[in-house]
Amino acid sequence: MTYCFYICVCLCLVIFQTTIIPHISLFNNFYDLLVPFIIYLGLFRSARESIPFILVLGFLMDNLSGAPFGLYVTTYFWLFIIVKLVIRYLHARNNILLLFIVAAGVLMENIIFIASVSIQGPDLQFSAITIRTVIFQILWAVCTGFFFLIFFNHIHKKLEKWFNEIIAEKTKII
Amino acid sequence: MIVVNIIILSVNGSRYSSYGSGRIAIFFIAPLQKTVNQSVQFLKNIWSHYFFLVSVAKENDNLKKAINHAIDKNNKYREIEISNFRLRNLLNFRKTMPNRVLVAKVIGRDRSPWFKTIIIDKGKSDGIEKGLPVVVPEGIAGQIIDVSCNYSKVLLIIDQNSAVDVLVQRTRDRGLVKGQSDGRCLANYVLRKHDIKVGDTVISSGLDGVFPKGLRVGYISEIVKRNSGMFQEVTVTPYMDFEKLEEILVVLDPPKHDFVSEQ
Repeated sequence: MTYCFYICVCLCLVIFQTTIIPHISLFNNFYDLLVPFIIYLGLFRSARESIPFILVLGFLMDNLSGAPFGLYVTTYFWLFIIVKLVIRYLHARNNILLLFIVAAGVLMENIIFIASVSIQGPDLQFSAITIRTVIFQILWAVCTGFFFLIFFNHIHKKLEKWFNEIIAEKTKII
Repeated sequence: MIVVNIIILSVNGSRYSSYGSGRIAIFFIAPLQKTVNQSVQFLKNIWSHYFFLVSVAKENDNLKKAINHAIDKNNKYREIEISNFRLRNLLNFRKTMPNRVLVAKVIGRDRSPWFKTIIIDKGKSDGIEKGLPVVVPEGIAGQIIDVSCNYSKVLLIIDQNSAVDVLVQRTRDRGLVKGQSDGRCLANYVLRKHDIKVGDTVISSGLDGVFPKGLRVGYISEIVKRNSGMFQEVTVTPYMDFEKLEEILVVLDPPKHDFVSEQ
């Protein structure tokens, strides 16, 4: 059930961000929508349950993107680990944490990407447009990341409750 | 009595006379009549207007639907017109190409600002192979880097991992165009002594073994000559807007170069 939920959400997010978002000029500088999902997994779900899915998700994104193979797996995996380390010291439901953690995640993803691109071509020049894109992504993440986290958590809880009720009813019938 | 009554009626019938009682009756009854009549009229008006408004509202709804339908239809026609223009352009370009080409539709894009790839709706089953060049009427678009049964991934020339061997059309000077993160390209290895100017068209040289010779890559938008160094820094801006790419052509039989030396 949980994995079904993860698969559905991620498919929707991947398709949404690769097919619909490019047509909406307002979202030209929108961040990777899978980042809030990875952070949600890090904040609210167990490592044993999440890590296999994160690896599969990273693999999928590596295949869809033009990034060097393994970059998304690396990014998502380390993002998840860092979130797990952060919530060791900070309360996971702290609203201020939720407000900025997605932005921090987006920044981290971009730093890993920059590092990867720099390794490939040390003579690379980062243009003002790229820097501006990253800044806009972070601003978008600050404005919307919190809502994504709340939304994922809410939907997942509802689905779990619904699923448990169905199972309880079935066991009663038996 | 009947006879007397008939006589009185016949006498009164010949000339109208109410003997003043009519005025009194009117004085008392008429205001009531007026009030009642006005009330009835008022109710009648409300009644008729209520139904009228309902019918108007219904008519309004129908008209709104019709307008929306017409707008939708108009939009579809406009979209068809635009895509017709685009496809005609593509077809005309296709006719000018000596190579066999396949039209494909862009169905997905990489959202990352660091990597510029697109997904197209043609794959192995359509004859596409890894490494084939992708072109559009405005010039070179990229290269196939991954192929599945029905879909392929294209690395655009503005990606940092992309490189195209080019010539400046006017002077025939060579260089190597590489993608930059800002959607433009940088022409590397253009010697300082070469007399190139801003606005010069850059075309593919065909020497990279991937792209056919003579296809447009872009135009020179900036030249920086440092005090030292062998080369000049040349910025090339592609003619097309890669954000607006919708259909592309995959060259199925690019020129092949045999690089094996004969011994």
